[in-house]
Amino acid sequence: MSTLRFDHITVRFGTGRHAITAVNDVSLTVPHGTVVGLVGESGSGKSTLARVAVGLVPAAAGAITLDGRPVPRKGAGRPLQMVFQDPNSSLDPRMTVGEAIGEITPRGLTAAERQADVARLLELVHLDPARAGAYPGQLSGGQRQRVALARALAGRPSVLIADEITSSLDVSIQGAVLNLVRELQAELDLTMLFISHNLAVVRYVASRVAVMYQGQIVEEGPAEQVLAQPEHPYTRRLLAAIPGEGTRQGQGSERHRTPSELTEGEPND
Amino acid sequence: MATKTANQARPSAQLRRAFATPMGLVALICLALVLFLAAFGPFIWGEASQTRDLTNLSGGPSAEHWAGTDAGGRDMLARVLVASRLSIMMALESTAISLVVGLILGSAPIILGRRVGRVVNWFIGIAVAFPGLLLALFFAVVFGSGAHQAAVAIGLAGGPSFARLCQTLIAGVLGRDYVAAAKVGGVGRFRLFGRHVLPNIGEPLVVNATIGAGNALLAFASLSFLGLGVQMPQFDWGRLLKECLEQQFRFHPLASLTPGYFVVVAGLAFSLTGESIARAMSFTSLGDLGLRGKARRRAAQLAAVADAARAPDTASATVPDAVLTVRDLTVTFPAGPGEVRPVRGVSFDIGPGEAVGLVGESGSGKSLTALAVAGLIESPGRVAATELGFLGEDLSRDGAGAHRRLLGTSLAMVFQDPMSSLNPTQKVGHQLAELAHEHGDLSWRQAQARAVDRLAAVRLPEAKRRAKQYPHEYSGGMRQRAMIGLGVMLTPKLIIADEPTTALDVTVQEQVLDLLQAIRREDGVALLFISHDVSVVGDICDRVMVMYAGRIVETLPVTRLHGGAAHPYTRALVAAVPTMATDLDQPLPTIPGRPVEPAEVPPGCAFAARCPLADARCREQEPALEPWLDGQVACWRPVGADTPATAATLGGPRLGAVPTARRAVKETVETTRVAARGAVDQAKAAARDAAGQVRDALRSAADQTRRAVLGEEEGPTEPGHEEAQP
Ligand SMILES: Nc1ncnc2c1ncn2[C@@H]1O[C@H](COP(=O)(O)OP(=O)(O)O)[C@@H](O)[C@H]1O
Ligand code: SF4
Ligand SMILES: [Mg+2]
Repeated sequence: MSTLRFDHITVRFGTGRHAITAVNDVSLTVPHGTVVGLVGESGSGKSTLARVAVGLVPAAAGAITLDGRPVPRKGAGRPLQMVFQDPNSSLDPRMTVGEAIGEITPRGLTAAERQADVARLLELVHLDPARAGAYPGQLSGGQRQRVALARALAGRPSVLIADEITSSLDVSIQGAVLNLVRELQAELDLTMLFISHNLAVVRYVASRVAVMYQGQIVEEGPAEQVLAQPEHPYTRRLLAAIPGEGTRQGQGSERHRTPSELTEGEPND
Repeated sequence: MATKTANQARPSAQLRRAFATPMGLVALICLALVLFLAAFGPFIWGEASQTRDLTNLSGGPSAEHWAGTDAGGRDMLARVLVASRLSIMMALESTAISLVVGLILGSAPIILGRRVGRVVNWFIGIAVAFPGLLLALFFAVVFGSGAHQAAVAIGLAGGPSFARLCQTLIAGVLGRDYVAAAKVGGVGRFRLFGRHVLPNIGEPLVVNATIGAGNALLAFASLSFLGLGVQMPQFDWGRLLKECLEQQFRFHPLASLTPGYFVVVAGLAFSLTGESIARAMSFTSLGDLGLRGKARRRAAQLAAVADAARAPDTASATVPDAVLTVRDLTVTFPAGPGEVRPVRGVSFDIGPGEAVGLVGESGSGKSLTALAVAGLIESPGRVAATELGFLGEDLSRDGAGAHRRLLGTSLAMVFQDPMSSLNPTQKVGHQLAELAHEHGDLSWRQAQARAVDRLAAVRLPEAKRRAKQYPHEYSGGMRQRAMIGLGVMLTPKLIIADEPTTALDVTVQEQVLDLLQAIRREDGVALLFISHDVSVVGDICDRVMVMYAGRIVETLPVTRLHGGAAHPYTRALVAAVPTMATDLDQPLPTIPGRPVEPAEVPPGCAFAARCPLADARCREQEPALEPWLDGQVACWRPVGADTPATAATLGGPRLGAVPTARRAVKETVETTRVAARGAVDQAKAAARDAAGQVRDALRSAADQTRRAVLGEEEGPTEPGHEEAQP
């Protein structure tokens, strides 16, 4: 079991007059085996919350617990792993795919075991294990993001935090990465905090949704409920801003598609 | 092109580029000579430098002794050549010391933790403020004279600036997510430093050390010259210069400076070689940060459409009043022995006030098409077209210079990264005003007023105050708006927006889209909107062009985008975007395989390898872009023409009975709307022309006072200002 809890977390940057409260008294639970979607505009504090969880940013107040115990923030084998937005930045250009993943695999493996583990992880994210020797520069954007996912999984995390992992990808690749996330989640029974500014993306992977606005969580609940009957005005604004929902040109019902138009079998990966 | 960062390109290619410039090449040759001297000088001229010609003491230059002789009658040139080894070795030694000191100090924050790091940083800050030579002198006095003592003195004195450099470089690496990822993964700090930090700062460090060696050489020569460095019987260039000046200068001033020439040449060889590499690899980005946006704008005006092919007069079916007419546009780059052609014959028109979307996966050639139209493709890229008409001028004819003004005033570009167009060192309002002042015949004050007006027009809150801020004080969305504001400073007829909202989140994206839409409506500007996201394009455009592997494969009205597209690729792109109606029980539709690389375009249809409908013909013959319904499609088996089985494979309702009455009506309405807008546009243009004539007449006769009055009169002649304000 691994339930992640943010308990009255506050994060401040800067000191004195210039201090900014990026996260303001946020409490949030990510229950074991579920994906919680965290949405909000950039600057609303989503990434900061994620970085607090994995120990990259200190919290000014509050506690983060995993099954009631404080999350260890030092040393190897940490139970929380994170996937970052831009795979161009999150993979070291001078390290091969195999080295990058192998670096996070548990300590004490022999070289052969480590290699096998890397191959298994690459397989898991649908990459050819033979690509272990490739440098990130030789991969496409979508493949890089898969490597980043494999690396995060190499640490055998109890909880995975995905911070805007499809925002820097082409829409045509985004679909494949989202499918992979859902597949991995089901296969490994992952507990996951999935951050995105796109509600349609979050809707596809998350069973619960939390909406963050100006450092605070303004709405939280089961995905269907939050998306169908948003309570907070900000959630409604986010919903209205989803591109392709035909709000801008006022061309009326022509632009609203029926579900059947969208989902009938397109070519699959 | 713009998306490719410098360190992704291959280092060897960058090195080659560094030495392709005359300066780089000369510097490299000089450096090679200098290093050769250091290695072999003592062997070759060792003996000559010892031989005393007692008949010729302190002699001047002669056929035998080119640089004269010293007080002991020894050949000066030979001595200088021999001295190169010691001079260079000591310069390298002190550079190495600086480098080590710099690395130790600069890496303290990682290794020793934040608190100690802060103290070290503070110390570096003070040390850097000290003049280097003064520091070197101080250490030289402390350590006493002698070659190695001087090297250590100079090395220590150079330490702080290397420490500062290391700090900057390390901070850059530490800011990258891969360091964060390694930390989260439990990687320790020593490993972090050794595996992630060092390899990624290595190249810039070595390059900067090369530059530093040039400085060390000068410093070392100075110390020796002052008698603090190398001592008799050893001699280096500084020591020799001292001797020469003391013994020879009075009689043969020019020859006596020989060691000095060597110091200068060797010092420059090191420094310029380093600079050239740094520039090619774009390391010293701190220095030229401010230049980039400007360079880009300049390039906008200067880039060559000139070598576009001189086309034979083909009777192309040009839309008479189109803002932009493109026929058979290609963009070609040299690649190894051959060429690649990422844009392979693109033709389209954009009517006045029309919003056209250009979609496709990254790498399909969208950006290059846009850059080619704007004359922004830089050498060695080549642009060719049988016609490239913008507002009636054919850009593919005559030099770029002839069109510079037209492009500068009537075409606006908006990029994904606003910082590519905004200068980080200048206030936003200033940058906008400068443009109008240079191109738009406005006085500085008028230009400034217009800048504020335009910033307000792009819905920038508190435009007046914001105009006085620097770009970094803006949020991402605000910068994007400022760039659009820059675009509408002059009155453009066409805005080309290349992924303007890709880096923004949905709410800000919505605002920017609304803004572009408003500008288009109010000023009748045409828009070419580029994106990889069909859903965004669908929200703002009238018509969509879909690009794949450097060709347009379908154009269609936006009303047909969802469900009514004929090309399998268009349909796949549309289906790939999750919406609020996506079925949660199914995997998302994806496009199998990878986009085609420009270097390996297959024969036949480029999409065949990923297309579920592909058959033998598709793989052999390339389909041409042909009229289809109310658009065009390049496909042998467009959806809607085939058997019901086809439509079932691809999903979506069949378009068998396409032009329903309702759609026909809609089209008529649309055509009328465009025509009406065209008429309004012409009226506006006429009004503006008339106003322009009046203005010119007035100006020729007017004095300063009357010009000020004119400034007020100008307002109403430019429609759209007032309405544009929130
Ligand atoms: N300077 C260049 N030299 C060689 N190839 C280039 C250059 N710039 C772009 N390309 C190639 O041209 C293709 C199209 O690029 P681009 O127009 O940027 O695509 P898009 O905007 O659709 O993502 C890509 O495969 C890219 O690698
Ligand atoms: S021409 Fe053939 S391969 Fe190409 S898109 Fe059409 S059906 Fe598919
Ligand atoms: Mg592009």
